[in-house]
Amino acid sequence: MSLRRLGVILAHEGRLIRRDPFPILVLIVFPIIDMAFLKAAFRAALVQAGHPHANGAEQVVPGQAAMMAFFVVSLVVFAFFSEFTWGTWDRLRASPASSIEIVLGKALPRVAMVLAQFVVVFLAGIVVFDLHIRGSVIALIPLVAAFSVCLVLLGVAVTAFCRTAQQAGSFASAGMVLFGAIGGALVPISVLPDWARAVAPAVPTYWVMRGFRSVILDGEGLGSVVAPVMVLGAMTVLFALVALRRLRFDETKIAWI
Amino acid sequence: MQDTSRNLRRSVVRSDPAVVLAIRGLHKSYADTVALAGIDLEVSAGTVLGLLGPNGAGKTTLVSIVAGLRRPDAGTVHVGGIDVVRTPQRARGLIGFAPQDTGVYTPLSVRNNLRFFAGLAGMRRAEQAERIDEIANALGLEALLDWRAAELSGGERRRLHTAIALLHRPALVLLDEPTTGADVRTRSQILQLVRRLADEGSAIVYSTHYLHEIEELDAFVTFVDAGRIVATGSTAELVRQYGASALELTFVHDVPAVARIEGAHVDGSMVRIPAADPAITAAEILPRLGTHAADLRSIEVVRPSLESVFLTVTGRRFGAQTLEPVG
Repeated sequence: MSLRRLGVILAHEGRLIRRDPFPILVLIVFPIIDMAFLKAAFRAALVQAGHPHANGAEQVVPGQAAMMAFFVVSLVVFAFFSEFTWGTWDRLRASPASSIEIVLGKALPRVAMVLAQFVVVFLAGIVVFDLHIRGSVIALIPLVAAFSVCLVLLGVAVTAFCRTAQQAGSFASAGMVLFGAIGGALVPISVLPDWARAVAPAVPTYWVMRGFRSVILDGEGLGSVVAPVMVLGAMTVLFALVALRRLRFDETKIAWI
Repeated sequence: MQDTSRNLRRSVVRSDPAVVLAIRGLHKSYADTVALAGIDLEVSAGTVLGLLGPNGAGKTTLVSIVAGLRRPDAGTVHVGGIDVVRTPQRARGLIGFAPQDTGVYTPLSVRNNLRFFAGLAGMRRAEQAERIDEIANALGLEALLDWRAAELSGGERRRLHTAIALLHRPALVLLDEPTTGADVRTRSQILQLVRRLADEGSAIVYSTHYLHEIEELDAFVTFVDAGRIVATGSTAELVRQYGASALELTFVHDVPAVARIEGAHVDGSMVRIPAADPAITAAEILPRLGTHAADLRSIEVVRPSLESVFLTVTGRRFGAQTLEPVG
């Protein structure tokens, strides 16, 4: 792998992202709008779950950020499918860039987008919605980083599996709501039915929300996010293996955008 | 590690240094369809190879394999002595490729499209800027460098598409039907630049079904038909060896029996009659038509050309359906 070539692809992806910043706005603005509506509704649920001082922001800020972060799966999918729309995929493959440089070049900027989203949404949560992080803020860094990388690799795996942009887009849209609901991002996990709580550990959102709860509500530190980070890391490896096994660079994707 | 270096050494073949592209025994099939049935080909530095053939002849498959986009079923491809099949990434640095369909980043400017591929090819910033100006001038894109590719006309976009392939002065340029859908000006500019690049030492594979472009480029010609090379040589050699004059008569309805003389080929309402001197043949055949002369739509004299070469070696008109032989 050539770092210089990877740098060229990263700069190029950066230019493409800057040409259309609307998805970044969606990532950042939508959760903030949702927070304004939903904060009060979650206060009672958190109090009932044993957090008498909670004001609702402890659920709605990380929950909406984690749920909307799933949107990055779509962004990764479209980063690949757009190459077919522009007719540039074969050009890129025939260039000296290797497969791993192309995948990293598309993945890393989207990881950065999710990280930026969490920073801005949490800052808005603290300043506007009175979010108090009772535990270690430092503990949130590996948690958010592991979740971001996990979602982006899920996007690569979805790209590998789907032959049309419609398939990939449908999965990404439905997945955002489904993973958000089951994982305890849309509503606190304590209000979910038993069956949902049983399957929740299968989705990445559950683990990031578990980490958020332990740091934000229970006031714990780095030790409390080790398990969520490890599981998110294992899921990332799984998605990477699926992508490696299934992603065929000579496959023609059908893009309808 | 040792294995890797041995593999790399094995993937580099030193033969005639002037030979940039060497293809041996190339086969490729898609399910039951044979796309390439044993292609052997060499292209030297400073040469334009016109890869000619009707649609479906196997040209795009051949170019795609050389570009490292498809794997052959059998055979070898070496570019600059590097095995494309075994170490495609190493070979890609030597190749400039323009696929058949236009491929440019429409949200980005012309300059940023060129800059991206120049960067991937390993060009430094100063070199990039100089070369981008140079190629933009050659293809009439200099005033459009800061325009988004989405704002370009079809012809301008086609020029940008071709410029990307030629930007880094690759040892081997693969152009797959580069003038398809291009206007007259674009076609002329692309042909001039291709000729200039060959004069500067690049080997160029120019796949097309426009015979006159190959004649204009004075290219070395390889005719491909049904996955095989059916004729190869310089334009002059091929025309001398296989080119034949002919007289083409086209009728309003079917070709009458009286015009179906021995050696002629019939294609629907047209008959092509091989003729050493078409004027004499016309003088002989026209009186024989009798009342059928009223059904004549046109008479055309075909001079020896690449088109007549293709007809001689395949028995079919270039780009036409199979002809029905007579006699």
